Amino acid sequence: MTDPKQRITEAEAIEQAKQGHEAAFEVLYHLHKRRVYSLCLRMVSNPVQAEDLAQEAFLQLFRKIGTFRGESAFSTWLHRMTVNVVLMQLRKKGLPVVSLEETLEADDEAPRKEFGAKDVRLTGSIDRLQLQRAIDRLPPGYRTIFVLHDVEGFEHNEIAGIVGCSIGNSKSQLHKARLKLRDYLKFMRAEKAKTG
Amino acid sequence: MTCSDVERVLPELLDGAPDGEFQTAFETHVKSCPACSDLVSDLKVIASEARQLAATEEPAPRVWVRIAAELRAEGLIREPESAPKSAPTRPILVPTSPRRRWSAWWLAPVAAALLAAGSYVVSHKPAPQVAKQQAPGTPAASPAPAPPAVAQTPAVAPASVPNPAPQQLAQKSATPTAIVGLTAAPAAEPEPSEEDQQFLSVVSTRAPSMRATYESQLQAVNADIREAQAYLDRNPGDADARQHLMDAYQQKALLYQIALDRIQ
Repeated sequence: MTDPKQRITEAEAIEQAKQGHEAAFEVLYHLHKRRVYSLCLRMVSNPVQAEDLAQEAFLQLFRKIGTFRGESAFSTWLHRMTVNVVLMQLRKKGLPVVSLEETLEADDEAPRKEFGAKDVRLTGSIDRLQLQRAIDRLPPGYRTIFVLHDVEGFEHNEIAGIVGCSIGNSKSQLHKARLKLRDYLKFMRAEKAKTG
Repeated sequence: MTCSDVERVLPELLDGAPDGEFQTAFETHVKSCPACSDLVSDLKVIASEARQLAATEEPAPRVWVRIAAELRAEGLIREPESAPKSAPTRPILVPTSPRRRWSAWWLAPVAAALLAAGSYVVSHKPAPQVAKQQAPGTPAASPAPAPPAVAQTPAVAPASVPNPAPQQLAQKSATPTAIVGLTAAPAAEPEPSEEDQQFLSVVSTRAPSMRATYESQLQAVNADIREAQAYLDRNPGDADARQHLMDAYQQKALLYQIALDRIQ
């Protein structure tokens, strides 16, 4: 598929898309496709599902583009829409959007499980591929909060509104997600050190 | 402040939410405690590296093809009344002729033929054999709205719609092995099927400059079908994989229709 030459700005593309110009839709698609697809992929860890979700997010956006008035950035609007599409899919599949652990542990006093060599240090650079794999291993609830905050840059008050949890819950979930990732990464690093 | 205290306040303090009461004690403890220092450092590194993961993945081209098809089907894409000369270059698969609008009934027979074949293949899940590569044949009769006279040769009457695909497909009986060729480890691009060759022959005659483009598009969509079939063979219970294969067949149907509609 050839990329159309982007001779128009995003604002112009939006206005032309409102008139139904296919090239304008395609410009907007190519401008935001990576962000949308990456978000979907991080949240569901399945390329086939991620494609379907990205498709649905763009379709919803384009159906509603006539209502876009520019009060917020277009990318923000698309971003939110994508998150809603993904979360709806997760809910439809019965997957927890927010970790159930929060409802089961009133007060997290239990020592955190650590596996892997304790003496393996994580500080320094992290292998991006290992980080991706570690994120894929996170429970869906933790993964959602982590992806929204640390990958996509949503603030906790935004996450709370999107996901339907409290700000405190969002912060707690994020912290637990990061701790789990730290454990996974240390384990991977230890395994790698063993095999050489 | 103890290590337990640090772990308790970390969720609040780590992301730069300064809290006068705990901030100083927190920082003092972290400076003096290697374990907490490592913990804080590790968590910060994870957060900063994660940010680099945004927008790193590229979706397959088929995603846009599907979006565009759906937008057309919903009537959200409208031909401009007067296309300015400085308009952005239109993607190659968009019919630019203002003479005829995209009508659903043209899509129906072609799409139905390939969709029916796709449905048959997906529901019967043939054995992954190497088969003569051909576009999926229709197991049932061709769809009710009969298309206009189909040109079997490059000499197409202007009034008729050169549409060899559905006729040819209807004539061939689909068998469980009549699927797009699947090899255990496809190393090279398989030979185009008879239908694909005929399609490209029509394109070569009516719009020679487009042949290379459509040939590459056809290769891409056939590769999608092979890939989807291979994935389904490995994961026979995966409903998403079945749907994906269906979608791939539909895209091929769209490619035929768009190309033939454009070159009239």
